[in-house]
Amino acid sequence: MFKKILFATTGTPSCDSAARVAFDMAKRYNAELVTINVFGVPSRSFSQTVTDIRTGDEVDLHDDRLEEIKNELEKTYVQLIKDYTPCETVVTVGIPHTEILRLARKKEIDLIVIGARTSAEENENSVNRHIVGRTLQSVARSARCPVLVIGRTAASFWGGISNIVFGTDFSKASDEAFKFAFNLAQTFNSSLHLFHAIDISADPFEITKNQEVIEDRIRDAREKIRSKYLSKMEGFNDYEIDVWEGIPYVEIVKYARESFADLIVMSHHTKKMDPEKAVLGSTVEQVVLRSNAPVISVNHPARQKKQ
Amino acid sequence: MYNFLTGPLAWFSFLVFFIGILIRSILYIKGLDSNLDRVTYKVNTSFGIKEAVRSIFYWLLPFATRGWRTQPLMTALFFIFHIGLLASTLFLKAHNMILQERWGFSIITIPDVVSDYLTIAVLAAALVLIIRRMALAQVRILTKPSDYLILLISIAPFLTGFLAFHQFGNYPFWMITHIISGELLLVVIPFTKLSHCFLFFFSRGQLGMDYGIKRGGMKRRKAMAW
Amino acid sequence: MSQNILCTQNPVNDKEALDALLKDKRGQQYYDEMTRLEVDTAALSKSLNDTCHSRIRTWLELCAHCGMCADACAFYLSNEKDPKQVPSYKIQSTLGEIVRRKGNVDNALMRYAMDVAWGKCTCCNRCGLYCPFGIDMGVMMSYLRGLLFSQGFVPWEMKIGSGMHRIFRAQMDVTVEDWVETCEWMEEEWEDDWPGLKIPVDKENADIMYTVNAREPKHYPEDIAEAAVLFSIAGENWTVPGEGWEETSLAMFAGDWEGSQLQAQSVYDAMDRLKPKRMIVTECGHAYRATVIEGPYWTGQKSGKTPIETLHYVEWVAEALRTGKLKIDPAKKIKEPVTLHDSCNYVRNGGLSQCGREIMSYIAEDFREMTPNGDHNFCCGGGGGMNGIGKYREERNTGQKVKRDQILATGAKLVITPCHNCWDAIRDLEEVYKIGIRWSFLKPLLLDMVIVPEHLKPKEE
Ligand code: SF4
Ligand code: SF4
Repeated sequence: MFKKILFATTGTPSCDSAARVAFDMAKRYNAELVTINVFGVPSRSFSQTVTDIRTGDEVDLHDDRLEEIKNELEKTYVQLIKDYTPCETVVTVGIPHTEILRLARKKEIDLIVIGARTSAEENENSVNRHIVGRTLQSVARSARCPVLVIGRTAASFWGGISNIVFGTDFSKASDEAFKFAFNLAQTFNSSLHLFHAIDISADPFEITKNQEVIEDRIRDAREKIRSKYLSKMEGFNDYEIDVWEGIPYVEIVKYARESFADLIVMSHHTKKMDPEKAVLGSTVEQVVLRSNAPVISVNHPARQKKQ
Repeated sequence: MYNFLTGPLAWFSFLVFFIGILIRSILYIKGLDSNLDRVTYKVNTSFGIKEAVRSIFYWLLPFATRGWRTQPLMTALFFIFHIGLLASTLFLKAHNMILQERWGFSIITIPDVVSDYLTIAVLAAALVLIIRRMALAQVRILTKPSDYLILLISIAPFLTGFLAFHQFGNYPFWMITHIISGELLLVVIPFTKLSHCFLFFFSRGQLGMDYGIKRGGMKRRKAMAW
Repeated sequence: MSQNILCTQNPVNDKEALDALLKDKRGQQYYDEMTRLEVDTAALSKSLNDTCHSRIRTWLELCAHCGMCADACAFYLSNEKDPKQVPSYKIQSTLGEIVRRKGNVDNALMRYAMDVAWGKCTCCNRCGLYCPFGIDMGVMMSYLRGLLFSQGFVPWEMKIGSGMHRIFRAQMDVTVEDWVETCEWMEEEWEDDWPGLKIPVDKENADIMYTVNAREPKHYPEDIAEAAVLFSIAGENWTVPGEGWEETSLAMFAGDWEGSQLQAQSVYDAMDRLKPKRMIVTECGHAYRATVIEGPYWTGQKSGKTPIETLHYVEWVAEALRTGKLKIDPAKKIKEPVTLHDSCNYVRNGGLSQCGREIMSYIAEDFREMTPNGDHNFCCGGGGGMNGIGKYREERNTGQKVKRDQILATGAKLVITPCHNCWDAIRDLEEVYKIGIRWSFLKPLLLDMVIVPEHLKPKEE
């Protein structure tokens, strides 16, 4: 299923769980693993200095430096990962999401594994908050392959998957996410929970306070799930359909917990957001930060492999 | 003595002055180089001329450019000094009488009191310019002794002329120093910074052409505010 | 003879020399060697004879030492009116000295001249507007840079930059393949949201040939995609050249006239090859200056103009808004106070100040001008290459105070900077002074507020 996995890391402890998952999966699926660390953001125009993403310090860029960082990174993972298998490590500078996406495209990657930014130190570095915050969002939005986002430490394994929650907002991107979720469920023989949350957070007329309206909407949504997805799941019976109302990311997290989800699949099709909001993040990011289960974001049809 | 000063020496000074101006002007224009200056003086010349004229025109009017407006003191000094200097020299009754005597023509004149006040204004402005030169750090750092010397050379005819006119002390002495300093001024103009009295037009005009031809002159939708 | 390896009079022409320079950490060895670099006084005096003619000589001689140019210079004002920052002083103590001594100068003077030419002047040409004689210190600084470059006295990053142009015909190591690859990638990545989006490479006889700044393919590829989207929305028939796509010129900042010529020529060759009706330059100021204003002279175009008509991006946007090719959704106009930074290179030195105003009238509800603005605007503080030179970082940071205060006085929190260099400088300004502003190119803002025709909207079933 995954032949080439790209693990994007900042090299900080906040990416440790993601590292475990990435290495573990590569082993399990006999996949080729590539690790990328975009350690510096170009700064000062065309100068040869970059700003270190982790520290915010200005550092010089030269080959030795990249080599140093590469060795350091490899050492970190040799220590961290129990049965470490050597993999290609790319250390580079640039705008992180640009370089991650560029490499993913070049190497025809099937899955990107990325850590959610949960460690405080990365957020507080004000200069780069903007950039680091955008990485996950931009990668999840634009990648042509599924993006597995590992947030909480607990979710550091990728073993049997018994419960997959598929959260939909009925968008086109969600269709792709569904295909992927269904495919996974079939592969792993897991039960698939098709879930939609009716967003009542923006409701100026308080229509949703009216129980009848809500019931109607829930009924409609269930119907929509049936017609949209069930029709494509012939012969597959291990599923559940649920529609709740609330703030979508809160509901998804609650639902995932209740259904013992091992994995949440959803789409992240939000277009560009204004930077103020982007710092807070999209639904996907919010879910990642709150949920114990890892999240896979799928937005686009699988890329046609080059011949 | 007086005859020599107002005869051959005067001729000589005027000759040096005019020929000097002519040669320097020719050299300036000949030294312009479309490729080195990166201005196509000969292509789209009309755009260049237009901006050159505008540039000169606005800089000749007090407070017409942003540069003048942002430095009112300097602007006032500048115009008092230069207008006073030119007007009191060219339109002075005595000077025009000489012209009339020797050449049979004269230009407009102004009453002697006016000339007098203008001369005082020139001298006062020069004094403030000197003080300014010493007082302001940004001018002091640029100043060389020659700057004072040149200023003295240019105001000497005015000081001496003023003293002669009012017959302070020894009239013939002041008169002779007035003539000598006047002739000296004429002679040094082409060879010193004082050449700006005519090179100003070339230099300003050149920058005007630069902006008019190359730096956006043909694209500027609103006329350049100099 | 000196034993210099990195710091010599020779320009960088091959990868090997470039890599050697890049290996040097912050140019330590390079600058160390520079202290032992010999001045070829014979060559210097010869080039003065050949290239320093009446315009510059007259300027140097005519200067009345009046100091009226002082307040014109952002660096003078930012440095608490340090007399050493008076434009006239800066040029008299450097180029003036070299000319007076007929090129017979020593290493120390040359290094001092370098510190001034790149560390105290951004060649913004503002002072020229404030000198009664029209003495343009920016022009002379640029000339001085040429002399210094030919003698090897040039900041490390500038030497590298000029070498990049000589080797890659781009300011960064972006090859033609990288460039074309990036265009394809952006097409792929954006076509979901913008069905049918194309970035046509090397299409002949298009109406528009679009050229960019190497930073775009290198670090900000979405800028290219945004341009593509806006061209599509406007229904333009456009293309990018495969070769000759890079519009910028660090060679110009470096005073490397040969490199500048090579770079500009590569773009003109693309014009020749593709025969477009017009060329449009991305939101970059010095690129426009180099390829559109100065380039024709380096490459010997008799008309003083580019072979085909060329527009800066702001000209195109203004035109597209005026003709209705791009329509702004009135509800999405920028509501908050917003100000516009005029780039010296295409505003003062390119005459495009009205374009910015026109654009703002379409997209902003509360547009606040900086004072002064337009032709008289102050430099962002990072022009002329100073942004990228590590040695003069402090000078740059200090020099930005004027711009900082200008922005603060508008009360706007959003600064529109349609120029790569200014964009960088304003970003750094925020980093240094933390005044709580945001900064943006035009493209992303336009993309948020333009009315998208039906056929370009993604189909949601
Ligand atoms: S304003 Fe002009 S004349 Fe005065 S000091 Fe400056 S350059 Fe010289
Ligand atoms: S060109 Fe600009 S930075 Fe340079 S001296 Fe003149 S005003 Fe100052």
